Amino acid sequence: MSKRRPYVRPMDGWWLKNPYYVRYMSREATSLFVGVYALILLAGMVSLACGETAYNNWLMAMTNPVSIGFHLAALAAAIYHTITWFAVAPKVMPALFLAGKRVPDIAITTTQYAIAVVLYLGLFCMVWRV
Amino acid sequence: METIKVDIAIVGGGGAGLRAAIAAAEADASQTIALISKVYPMRSHTVAAEGGSAAVTQAHDNLDHHFHDTVAGGDWLCEQDVVEYFVAHAREEMVQLEHWGCPWSRKDNGHVNVRAFGGMKIERTWFAADKTGFHILHTLFQTSMKYPSIRRFDEHFCCDLIVENGRCHGAVVIEVATGKFTFIQARAVIIATGGAGRVFRENTNGGIVTGDGMALAYRHGVPLRDMEFVQYHPTCMPGTGLLFTEACRGEGGFLLNRDGYRYLQDYGLGPPDPSPRNKAMELGPRDRLSQAFWHEKQKGKTIDGPHGQVVHLDLRHLGEKKLHERLPQICELAEEFLGVDPAHAPIPVCPAVHYTMGGIMANGETASPLAGLYSAGECSSVGLHGANRLGSNSLAELCVFGKVAGSEASKFARSVTSHHSGTLEKQAEDVKQQALGIITRSGGTERMAILRTEMAQSMEDGCGIYRTGTAMQATCDKIDELRERYRNLNIDDRSSTWNTEWLLAIELGYQLDVAQSMVYSAINRKESRGSHQRLDGYEQRDDVNYLRHTLAHYNGDAAPRIDYMGVRITKSRPGIRAYGAAGEKAEQERKNREAASD
Amino acid sequence: MTDIEKTIEIEVMRYHPEQDASPVFKTYRIPYASDQSVLQGLQYIKDYIDGTLSFRWSCRMAICGSCGVMINNQPKLSCKTFLRDYYPGKIRVEALQHLPIERDLVIDATDFINKLESIKPYIVPREARSLEQGEYLQTPEQLARYEQFSSCINCMLCYAACPQYGLKPEFTGPGVLALLHRYNADSRDGARADRMQIVNAEEGVWGCTLVGYCSEVCPKQVDPAAAVNRNKVNSTLDYFLRFLMPGGGESG
Ligand SMILES: Cc1cc2nc3c(=O)[nH]c(=O)nc-3n(C[C@H](O)[C@H](O)[C@H](O)COP(=O)(O)OP(=O)(O)OC[C@H]3O[C@@H](n4cnc5c(N)ncnc54)[C@H](O)[C@@H]3O)c2cc1C
Ligand code: SF4
Ligand code: FES
Repeated sequence: MSKRRPYVRPMDGWWLKNPYYVRYMSREATSLFVGVYALILLAGMVSLACGETAYNNWLMAMTNPVSIGFHLAALAAAIYHTITWFAVAPKVMPALFLAGKRVPDIAITTTQYAIAVVLYLGLFCMVWRV
Repeated sequence: METIKVDIAIVGGGGAGLRAAIAAAEADASQTIALISKVYPMRSHTVAAEGGSAAVTQAHDNLDHHFHDTVAGGDWLCEQDVVEYFVAHAREEMVQLEHWGCPWSRKDNGHVNVRAFGGMKIERTWFAADKTGFHILHTLFQTSMKYPSIRRFDEHFCCDLIVENGRCHGAVVIEVATGKFTFIQARAVIIATGGAGRVFRENTNGGIVTGDGMALAYRHGVPLRDMEFVQYHPTCMPGTGLLFTEACRGEGGFLLNRDGYRYLQDYGLGPPDPSPRNKAMELGPRDRLSQAFWHEKQKGKTIDGPHGQVVHLDLRHLGEKKLHERLPQICELAEEFLGVDPAHAPIPVCPAVHYTMGGIMANGETASPLAGLYSAGECSSVGLHGANRLGSNSLAELCVFGKVAGSEASKFARSVTSHHSGTLEKQAEDVKQQALGIITRSGGTERMAILRTEMAQSMEDGCGIYRTGTAMQATCDKIDELRERYRNLNIDDRSSTWNTEWLLAIELGYQLDVAQSMVYSAINRKESRGSHQRLDGYEQRDDVNYLRHTLAHYNGDAAPRIDYMGVRITKSRPGIRAYGAAGEKAEQERKNREAASD
Repeated sequence: MTDIEKTIEIEVMRYHPEQDASPVFKTYRIPYASDQSVLQGLQYIKDYIDGTLSFRWSCRMAICGSCGVMINNQPKLSCKTFLRDYYPGKIRVEALQHLPIERDLVIDATDFINKLESIKPYIVPREARSLEQGEYLQTPEQLARYEQFSSCINCMLCYAACPQYGLKPEFTGPGVLALLHRYNADSRDGARADRMQIVNAEEGVWGCTLVGYCSEVCPKQVDPAAAVNRNKVNSTLDYFLRFLMPGGGESG
């Protein structure tokens, strides 16, 4: 009989064992905020459809400090999610080649930030000027 | 003990063993092949080879050039028919590796690129960045998975061969994970266990490079040939011995002494051109470069370092871009292990033991004098390297002679009948008892690490770059003493699962036998040739008495018996071995002579 | 104090299947030098303190892939991790996470090897070529498309980094998927369609939730996460193409 008796370590609580995993779990957790935020928006749409009072009530509810707090948290979560997404995007897209050389990951990530900045500037211009 | 019957057993899963396995599988798909390796094959030390593999490739090169470089590089101790076969088959093997997927570095037009290497007249070294051995090994390992007739015994340690009536019948192996013994009965056995560099203190070899197969064949009466020839590589990391490939110099690196002076020009290797000239200066052969280091050290021209004297390998002028493209691993090693960025500072280097030219005696078909036993790779002395190996010839050797061994063993296995196994099994049982004896006996007092360190230090003292009779005698005595003390070894670990201490003890036994064959071969060669350089009145090459191979025969507890055999010369009479401008002149004279005699 | 007098503590996981129910830790004090690797520390223990400690190593130069262990909870090659990075703190060495422990620091690698064998890790020529015809042509760009993935030294640090592998050992895992991609991305190869079946499977790329730690710990910049996630795109395309063209299609 074989004297081999491989020991398999348990996995419980794995996400707390390494800061990297904690960050990963927080990235995944940001989806909760995004989900709740989508529900709130949906409620807003429904109230708009139900008439002016309903919509005003919804708007009122939005000014509640709890609501503002939630939105700030959701914004932070969304930004965090975006940052992590920008960081992994080069791994998800097919390898890019320019003039026979692989485009480095950092260039792809930087380009995304650049595009985001341009889009946001455009958006702000539209909202504030027009 | 379980007996497993196969047609061919291959001990060693490095480049040579894998190439042999594939060749055997292709020669006859109906034969069963056991591929035995004490580590997973892709961990074999072929993985560490950096620089590249030689094969005539360019239009202005030819087989004769490669032949002459090899024979002169080996100081005429090569079997010339073997060299002819080798140079003629190297390219096809490199192409074969390419077809199997090896990521050779390419030129812009898609063809394979070649680089310059020490002692080679024309650039002919195929390379995969500076991880050539790694890529060759993984390509062969992964390709071997295509062949169902190859059955791997990964992490199985070979502890003896079974020999009866002058024929080899297989090997006894220990499964490392469980300590279980198995007798692998085979009609033909190939040994491909690699070199023995770990018997020296400072070396470029991995922990597994302990000469196992050499010792096994030797103990069964097969002579070890030319064991005194041990190559020192001139550019290694002080302290650890890790290698900075010759490709550093092939790409144009300089060697500088403490005055920032390219000292090689003082040792007949000049002139010091600013960019590499083949077979000159930094691209001279390894033995000459290591010897020049020794002389600089005597003159006090080397540099003090925390691990002894060093010189500088200067790559700064190659520029960051080229360094990262052509020598990425060198940059990584220098930065991580030494904290030196080669683009901005020179790398401190010193010589270290690198390669065992000698090995298990084999003819051009890789057969040993023992029927059914073949050998290939660094453990084998097929006669290619003579007294000094040229860099990048050995990776090509693994493929060329690995393939020969595979097909020859396959042929032999087909030609003989299987032996009735009763008596063989009894022998295998004895082998097992003997191996177990190391962990079951008690009362030992010698600590293994101490014996190992004393052996390695003594080999460095006696069989270093320069040798004297007195120092070699001291090493002979020391190794004799250590073999005696080895019997009194103490082992802490008496278990059977993953008992690495036990296996290390068996390896130390192999190493002591191999070390003994080296030093006794060396002390008996009373001349200087290639990597064997003496300072005690035998400074010259002596073709009258020593244009011969040394054969060391195992002699039990006593010192090995040494005798000699002739060298096969086909077309190159021993001449002057010169490099640099002197070499070019000598070559021109040789050509003129040849032209005149035509 | 000179380096010679300094010492450092290493706490090492010990597990002996013939006598221990589960792993225990044992602490050793060894001499410290700034250029010593953790591997050299382990070797010192084995040579001079306790010969029964088992671990794998060979090349000492970060290329054979034998010496992976957890060092202070991170997967690392012990031969290229240095005592100076922890001194004067303590170092804790464990067997690679997520893999069954055979003994002390030695893990069972058979799962990795079996998976490697399953992906056809060799060229199945796209077009036949004899040796006399010489090498296949491959431009530096075509080489660059797979070279990085061919640099995998099979050290399994990425498996120790991957919680999905720990939770579900059927997952093919980062290293082997990187090698699979290495062959699919090679201009000489023609077996992509076969290998896509492994990619598409539940245990293939879809076992990955993009934790990304595998690429972080890889000592050879193979970036297995990139190989896996690019193949999610390929797998999706492959799925739709098979819908459009019964009999299978080749996706980019
Ligand atoms: C750092 C370095 C760089 C080099 N660079 C170059 C280069 O650029 N060009 C060049 O041409 N050459 C180079 N060389 C030399 C060349 O790499 C080696 O000579 C060659 O790789 C040896 O291959 P091998 O197959 O004979 O042995 P190895 O690759 O060492 O394989 C030996 C095999 O035998 C097995 N084995 C050993 N003992 C046992 C046992 N008792 N039981 C079971 N299995 C056993 C091992 O597990 C292993 O699988 C270099 C060498 C070193 C050390
Ligand atoms: S991908 Fe990187 S970490 Fe994973 S096995 Fe390969 S080399 Fe190791
Ligand atoms: S010992 Fe080979 S990778 Fe560390």
